[in-house]
Amino acid sequence: MNELQKILDESVTKLFEARVDREFLTRTEEAGFSQELWDLVEEQGLPQVLVSEDGGGMNAGWADAYVVVRACGRHGVPLPVPETMLGRWLLERAGAPLVDGVIGLLPQTVRLGANGHYSAECARVPWGRDAACFVGATDGGELVVFDTAQASILEELNLAREPRDTVHFREAKPLGRHALDLPPDVVRWLGALLRSAQIAGAAAGCLEMSVRYTSEREQFGRLLSQFQAIQHHLAELAGAMASVDTMAHSAFTALDTLGFKATGRDARFEIAAAKCRASEAVEMLTRLSHQVHGAIGFTYEYALQFLTRRLWSWRAEFGAHGEWGEVLGRTAVEQGGDRVWAYLTN
Amino acid sequence: MLNIDSLRFPRYELPAALEPLRQEVRAFLDETLKPYSPLVRSNTWDGFDPDFSRKLGARGWLGMALPKQYGGHERSALERYVIVEETLAAGAPVGFHWIADRQSGPVIARYGTEEQKRKIIPGIAKGEICFCIGMSEPNSGSDLASVRTKAERVADGWLVNGTKIWTTNAHRADYMIALLRTDSNPDSKHRGLSQFLIDLKNTRGVTPRPIQDLSGRRHFNEVVFEDALIPADALLGKEGEGWKQATAELAFERSGPERYLSCFILLSKLIDEVKDRATPAVLAKIGAEVAWATTLRNMSLAVAGMLNEGVDPGLQASIVKDLGCQFEQRLPGLAQELVALEPTLAESGTDYQQVLGNLTLLAPSFSLRGGTLEILRGIIARGLGVR
Repeated sequence: MNELQKILDESVTKLFEARVDREFLTRTEEAGFSQELWDLVEEQGLPQVLVSEDGGGMNAGWADAYVVVRACGRHGVPLPVPETMLGRWLLERAGAPLVDGVIGLLPQTVRLGANGHYSAECARVPWGRDAACFVGATDGGELVVFDTAQASILEELNLAREPRDTVHFREAKPLGRHALDLPPDVVRWLGALLRSAQIAGAAAGCLEMSVRYTSEREQFGRLLSQFQAIQHHLAELAGAMASVDTMAHSAFTALDTLGFKATGRDARFEIAAAKCRASEAVEMLTRLSHQVHGAIGFTYEYALQFLTRRLWSWRAEFGAHGEWGEVLGRTAVEQGGDRVWAYLTN
Repeated sequence: MLNIDSLRFPRYELPAALEPLRQEVRAFLDETLKPYSPLVRSNTWDGFDPDFSRKLGARGWLGMALPKQYGGHERSALERYVIVEETLAAGAPVGFHWIADRQSGPVIARYGTEEQKRKIIPGIAKGEICFCIGMSEPNSGSDLASVRTKAERVADGWLVNGTKIWTTNAHRADYMIALLRTDSNPDSKHRGLSQFLIDLKNTRGVTPRPIQDLSGRRHFNEVVFEDALIPADALLGKEGEGWKQATAELAFERSGPERYLSCFILLSKLIDEVKDRATPAVLAKIGAEVAWATTLRNMSLAVAGMLNEGVDPGLQASIVKDLGCQFEQRLPGLAQELVALEPTLAESGTDYQQVLGNLTLLAPSFSLRGGTLEILRGIIARGLGVR
């Protein structure tokens, strides 16, 4: 880790370890959005890390931001920090004015009508109800910003009880339209990228809880961790966690170095691989974490479920492994078997 | 307990300056491997071809990180990494030089005497010397410290008695680095072991007996030592330090990209095979393995980077090997799931079918050699602090 990453890592870990515990997560699931934690998160500048210094941010790269996004997953932070981080990056990239507060990201490509207005039901908008504005990318190469007053919201939740609202626009006129030099489905790609890092973080959380629990709990006069069957479960968990973490981090780095290109190999290959690997790993991560915890891990009271329910939700969000695997599979077939190695090492 | 957040694979990218070398190796392999069928290529590090190894040596691509004064090239371990990646991915027959280049050479460079280095390393760098590994014994597999083959000090050297087993290429190798017991009554079974450099071609009383593997091929052996007299200077490193040295040797064995690249050719052939019947579900399965391949490469590079920076990658290397052999062992089954063609070794089969047949038969060994999956998971558990 470079200096900035170390500083970020230390400060987010400190903040989340102090604030995001079982009681907090339980309370938030009942009460919803925690303005108090959001204010602290804003105070530390977390949703601003990718914003330039002129814009009041840290001017960090995606590889630096990885530290923050992973930590959000690691602690199951019930706030749209990654989404808002991405939203502000998009706004600045398109030269649009930055917005305070939560950004509601529209996951699907926006198709404006001939009159420039937007009518659609946008499903699965993270924290739509708490958003200060909505932001989406259009099929016409623009970033559009909508006032929340122009939308009606149907409140829905994912399996982890994080808000995933349906936002209904009727002839909504964008507050702003800004040329964007990114693909029309950029929110989907970068949403997948964010989720891969969150899955990596939650995987580390699951592994830690599993190692700790099995190192404390005794059965048959021995610690669970002394049973070879349990040790092998833990080893498999470690491998799954490490594979997700490594690939997700590679994808964030690739976004800095390769970015999106009009033609040829760009960061999309790594992003697809990261989300594919992450989503595929969720099955093993959740199964083995629960297995080593026994019945206690299946209770609401025990904190493991705050992570595993997020893993099940994030696995599907912005595309699960089947969908991203198809993208990668198509790339491989188009390249041809003999060219795949050269493509991987390019 | 380990701090879980310290279990990372630090991102490592090969220096861009290595790219010309990669292209040079690729061009060489494209040309040199033309006559080799996909079936032969699917043997990769079991493929045994002294001519090919000599050609690689002539290019300066063996013994790359070994000292110049002994005929090595003092290039970086990363340059060697590029050679290894490219030769494996292409399915080059690397078996003749594989063990010498990967572990015997570095072990001799680290622990050998001046004379041993002068005598052996030049031949390794030229691709002219074949090595085998004398570790496992009939009653000493995963529990390596229990080896019993002993070397007794006698007037004119050491007298060796006992049996080594699963010794790949012992019947055609020039040398063996053997882990032998030199003290039968140590206070711990890890002590009392020493490593020896045994000249297989010029030692009486050493009998390699090839063992057929399940496919009928003879590449590994039982090696019987009956009062085999080896000279005093056959001792490699220090007497009694054999365990430590062998562990270091195993670290070379466990940290390379071969742990996910020994059947890349099957993935390549499978990709071509599904081309015309690529439904979304089929593509998704292929894509998931492509994701694995690129993930494993990133993890393997991280291990190379750690080695390059002098950080012990023992835990990370074990994880790569564990995940890498699962990846490789999954491929033959996946191929059957996606494509309705039988595996075969018969000449009537297509290239794809032959590659599949060969790797179906080879696959069980991937999670056995160089430390079983169970041993590796034990190492990982120890790394997590639960053992």
